[in-house]
Amino acid sequence: MSSVESGGDGGKWLDAHYDPVAGLYTFSSCVDLADLSGDGESRLVVGDLGSGSSGMKLKVYRGTALMSESTLLDLPAGLVAFFMDLHEPRIPAVAVASGPCIYVYKNLRPYFKFTLPSLEVNTLEQDVWQQVREGQIDPLTLKEMLESIRKKADIPLSVRSLRFLSLETDDMDEFVQLHKQQPIRRQTVITCIGTLKKSTADEDGVSCLVIGTESSDVYVLDPEAFIILAKMSLPAAPTMMDVTGQFDVEFRITVACRNGNIYILRRESDKPKYCVELPAHPVGLVRVGKNVVVGCTDESLQGFTQKGKKLWKAVLPAPITTMAAMDLPTRGFQAVLVGLANCEVQLYRDKNLLSTIKTPDVVTSICFGRYGREDGTLIMTTKGGGLMVKILKRTAAFDDRDNAPGPPLAQSVRLNVPKKTKLYVDQTLRERESGLAMHRAFQMDLSRLRLAAAKAYVKALESSLTPMSSSLTEPLKMNAVVQGLGPSFKLTLNVQNTAACRPVMNLAISFLYDESLYRMRNPYMRIPLLVPGLVYPVETFVECTSDKGISDIIKVFVLHEGKSSPLLTAHINMPVSEGLTLN
Amino acid sequence: MEVTMDPLFLAWSYFRRRKLQQCSDICTKILQDSPYDQAAWSLKTRALTEMVYIDEIEVDQEGIAEMMLDESSIAQVARPGTSLRLPGTSQGGGPTPAVRPMTQSGRPITGFVRPSTQSGRPGTMEQAIKTPRTASTARPVTSASGRFIRLGTASMLTNPDGPFINLSRLNLAKYSQKPNLSRTLFEFIFHHENDVKNALDLAAQATEHAQFKDWWWKVQLGKCYYRLGLYREAEKQFRSALNHQEVVDTFLYLAKVYQRMDQPITALNLFKQGLDHFPGEVTLLTGIARIHEEMNNISSATEYYKDVLKQDNTHVEAIACIGSNHFYTDQPEIALRFYRRLLQMGVYNCQLYNNLGLCCFYAQQYDMTLSSFERALALVANDEEQADVWYNIGHVAVGIGDLTLAYQCFKLALAFNNDHAEAYNNLAVLELRKGRIEQSKAFLQTAASLAPHMYEPHFNLSILSEKIGDLQSSYTAAQKSEDSFPEHVDTQQLLKQLRQHFATL
Repeated sequence: MSSVESGGDGGKWLDAHYDPVAGLYTFSSCVDLADLSGDGESRLVVGDLGSGSSGMKLKVYRGTALMSESTLLDLPAGLVAFFMDLHEPRIPAVAVASGPCIYVYKNLRPYFKFTLPSLEVNTLEQDVWQQVREGQIDPLTLKEMLESIRKKADIPLSVRSLRFLSLETDDMDEFVQLHKQQPIRRQTVITCIGTLKKSTADEDGVSCLVIGTESSDVYVLDPEAFIILAKMSLPAAPTMMDVTGQFDVEFRITVACRNGNIYILRRESDKPKYCVELPAHPVGLVRVGKNVVVGCTDESLQGFTQKGKKLWKAVLPAPITTMAAMDLPTRGFQAVLVGLANCEVQLYRDKNLLSTIKTPDVVTSICFGRYGREDGTLIMTTKGGGLMVKILKRTAAFDDRDNAPGPPLAQSVRLNVPKKTKLYVDQTLRERESGLAMHRAFQMDLSRLRLAAAKAYVKALESSLTPMSSSLTEPLKMNAVVQGLGPSFKLTLNVQNTAACRPVMNLAISFLYDESLYRMRNPYMRIPLLVPGLVYPVETFVECTSDKGISDIIKVFVLHEGKSSPLLTAHINMPVSEGLTLN
Repeated sequence: MEVTMDPLFLAWSYFRRRKLQQCSDICTKILQDSPYDQAAWSLKTRALTEMVYIDEIEVDQEGIAEMMLDESSIAQVARPGTSLRLPGTSQGGGPTPAVRPMTQSGRPITGFVRPSTQSGRPGTMEQAIKTPRTASTARPVTSASGRFIRLGTASMLTNPDGPFINLSRLNLAKYSQKPNLSRTLFEFIFHHENDVKNALDLAAQATEHAQFKDWWWKVQLGKCYYRLGLYREAEKQFRSALNHQEVVDTFLYLAKVYQRMDQPITALNLFKQGLDHFPGEVTLLTGIARIHEEMNNISSATEYYKDVLKQDNTHVEAIACIGSNHFYTDQPEIALRFYRRLLQMGVYNCQLYNNLGLCCFYAQQYDMTLSSFERALALVANDEEQADVWYNIGHVAVGIGDLTLAYQCFKLALAFNNDHAEAYNNLAVLELRKGRIEQSKAFLQTAASLAPHMYEPHFNLSILSEKIGDLQSSYTAAQKSEDSFPEHVDTQQLLKQLRQHFATL
């Protein structure tokens, strides 16, 4: 790895590697560091989301190079490396959660697939499908019955029924024929995954897998037999989790849920012990020591104790994209790395900002830990698929700066108020001396102007010159746009009914123009019914027949059928036709 | 016996008195008698050229092709203060868009309208080909622009029996050997016939004949290249011409080339270099001021305009620009002085009275306000001017609290100019005060579509939508407002409030 000095963050990090076109699209939950071959050198394991519909891969990086990649069947929801047995050499397995399954890889080869137990199926639904299989009811009745079940039943419908309900009538038959023989199953999917040490707190102790599912359950799996050791249920679907402790002794699972609450589960009970109600949805959850740091969608970072007591809140400059813990046990340093949407990664210890790393792109995943043989390595992937590796300098020191309160900066900025000139003073003198005369003159002028304005206004109204009509029956508005270089122009008239709730009908558009200059494709158009509030673009084509480079005005009238006076008029200053000189 | 004047001398005299048609007629007669009279021929070409001559330096119309398909630009996102393309935030501490209105290209409105002050570079092709306002403003033209077409056809019309010189049968090589004829011929081809390719041919052969030592031919070559859009070649020719002879015109042409290549800093340096040779030259100073103005550095622009006035105290552009700057920096009484000076100089048009009326109103000289507007109304030349005057009267009406009058005025402005986005916006606010939400919304949407560069309609729409509870539309409108005026505090606050609203559970 080549080391280059970086300047932006106070020289705390060495830029080890940056590949903007690595093609890695992933999130923090699908990135982990592990010594996969037992030679003391950590690899980077990434569950790549690909394009979201294809190209999902499990990638392993060693140093700056891609070491291996294998295709994943479905989008990965989470990825963890964990020790599943006590064999020597100590090689961790990789568990990839996707859909309802966990795929376990050992030595980078598929080893085991665990599928979540299927959920209870609604008996009514089962009966209905049974009847379908026997040919007693047709698809339309099936649809009605399923819909009534969906409305009433406590147990939600299976995926197949839901899919069936969303189909068009034509496709129903085929769908039923295809699927009616198979039994109904209701399957949930995994939303997050974590690891929990089984009985020892050692670094390389055997770990259980902890998974959160869409059906609002949390399962703890035995690493060897893959049986469910414990099941806990939550009030909402979990999205992120953090696990600490040992399964056999005492543990604590902190889960951020989709209803915007954080629940804390403990060993004894299968219901959450504590609950934190957040002011906004959580986007990141990191445990630092005994406290939990949560990033929220309202651009804030909040700290809570183990028991859910709020400690502090820090306001961030931009929305959070991802969060990760930074843990350096050798120096006893723990902090939170927060990736922001303004291309920055900020490092927080409690509520204090320690340092900021500027990145060339928005960071979507962060992972800090031992990579290769280097303990303090920061690995980030970006929105554009880039991979960035930075190494913490041995000499780097982070000092807390408590941002002391003081007067805001803006207070000392002087406003640029222009001085009052001598001229102004003179004028005020004049005002003072001849105020009466000025007032009289102004009032007289004002009356005259009011008259002039009213006259012009009446004239405009009488001949409907304005592009909007304010009549009570047909409040309309129109504006015209001319596009093109000539000799052909496209004329778009945007007509809008500005009434609150009454439609306008029986309208027509006609044009008045110099026929020696322009030719119009359809000089008379009917306007459809105008629904209030919507803009109706009416288009026509105008051709300029002159090659003299002159332009004229085209008048547009909107008329009510059977009446000769227009409702409104628009004048279009046509642009000069420029197309003719080109040939 | 009557002594007749020598016809050639008479023609020459007509030419000097700028009676060009008579001059051309006499020359035609002479040429009918003796077709090989070089003096008459040359004079006729000059007369015909003078008829359609326009100052090549001041004409600056950037076509759609040059704007949208420009491949010579190096950095798409130039650093602030180095490009004319991105207007950027005001660097010279000038007034914000909240105080001084913006043109479509995001620059503050200038005090003096000349070609290219209104248009600016459109962001998208869609924007480029539509006519949001009218043909006279804010619309780029293709490279074979309307003006040049008209010049060409004008020459056709004046000669009903065919062109004076048939270019296709002209032996350019022969004429290029004759320095006394070639120059007038060149100008004729370039200005009157508007045939740049032949002009370029002639210039190239002539400069070769002059052994590349004649600066005049190099300048003409540069002009041809510039017209053809070959800016680098034009730059080379102008630079070379400057080596032979320093002429103000050449400096101006070269600066124009640099501006077209989007190198305002180089152009500024060039102007300063020119000022070393020609201290106090007004055109050079004006050029500097214009660049500063275009780069949104209003305070330095004003400094240079002041320098211009020191040299030439009747310079209309400088007076108008300084005046408008004073008006928008909250010193209408000084602006009033400048505009009155223009009036004394004999500028007597609708726009000036319009400005005078506004200055009087804001400087609290109420007795003269409305009479100025009345005069402006009496002087209007076209519908757009009338619309502008009514719009400003509408502002005065809002100022004195007469909302009925204001409503009428804004509607009149729209009657005369259907695309007056500002009037639409103000009318929408008045409609909202009356409680007619649907109409207000429709007007604001129209204003926003007519003038996407203005932040006001977006902001107003945002407030309106927020009030009626349509937070999503409010947010999108506020974002558009932020795009056109990032420093607007009210928009920022509204956005913050909306974001908080979206984030809370």
